[in-house]
Amino acid sequence: MKSDLEEHGVSLIALSKDTVEEAATHKTRDRMNLTLLSDPELEVIRQYGVEHHKALGFSTGNFTLFGIPLALTPSFKTMAIPTSLLVDENGVIQWIDQTDDYRLRSSEERVLQAVRDAFG
Amino acid sequence: MNTLAIGASAAGFVAVMVAWGTYLATIPSGKVPARPVGWIILQLTGIAMAVLGVVWSFLEGGSPGVAVIVPAVLALMMGTTFFYLLTQRKTPIGNLKVKVGDTLLPFEAATSDRVRFHTDSLAGKRTLLKFFRGGW
Repeated sequence: MKSDLEEHGVSLIALSKDTVEEAATHKTRDRMNLTLLSDPELEVIRQYGVEHHKALGFSTGNFTLFGIPLALTPSFKTMAIPTSLLVDENGVIQWIDQTDDYRLRSSEERVLQAVRDAFG
Repeated sequence: MNTLAIGASAAGFVAVMVAWGTYLATIPSGKVPARPVGWIILQLTGIAMAVLGVVWSFLEGGSPGVAVIVPAVLALMMGTTFFYLLTQRKTPIGNLKVKVGDTLLPFEAATSDRVRFHTDSLAGKRTLLKFFRGGW
């Protein structure tokens, strides 16, 4: 997915309510190669109007099974609604994808189609 | 010893666990079904079998033993959790402050490497900005 984006000169940035520490742990653990931004005060999330107040979330905490993180600890937290914005070199938004069901996310195919439509 | 009651309760537990396992397995590949009809049927079947097991042991006289109660309770808990989670799936969309054609709203945030990031640094670059729910 990342190499397909690179082909079109698109870099990937992801922002969540995680603290810098949580984001760093997540990035290392899942060997992610992208810019992770931290917005624990929800400033950017509120600025963009993508706040999901008291959403049901699950975290792993210290519980892993054979090194696999099992997110079995439920809690209600305020977090971002999964939203993708495709932005061109002039800072203009070319495509927006937002889910009304947090279980369902932008598919790789949909994102790449949007990138192809916007940037040929 | 009521074999039928124990069997129904165990089958209910297995059905619920199979439903959970196969449902969770759709997550990594991004193939979570929008309408998980098959999983709903399997979960309901599991819950029904568990209840049947308990009812059966009462009908046969005497109270249900541990071999009936434990799998039945687990099946009920896991099964109802599935349906509770489905009720929580909707996100409150509609407050998005930008639309296609708008310019990115400038913002600042810290990266996971503790470096300050400002949207100014995106000038001249194509970017896919994703808001996500966070790590787990």
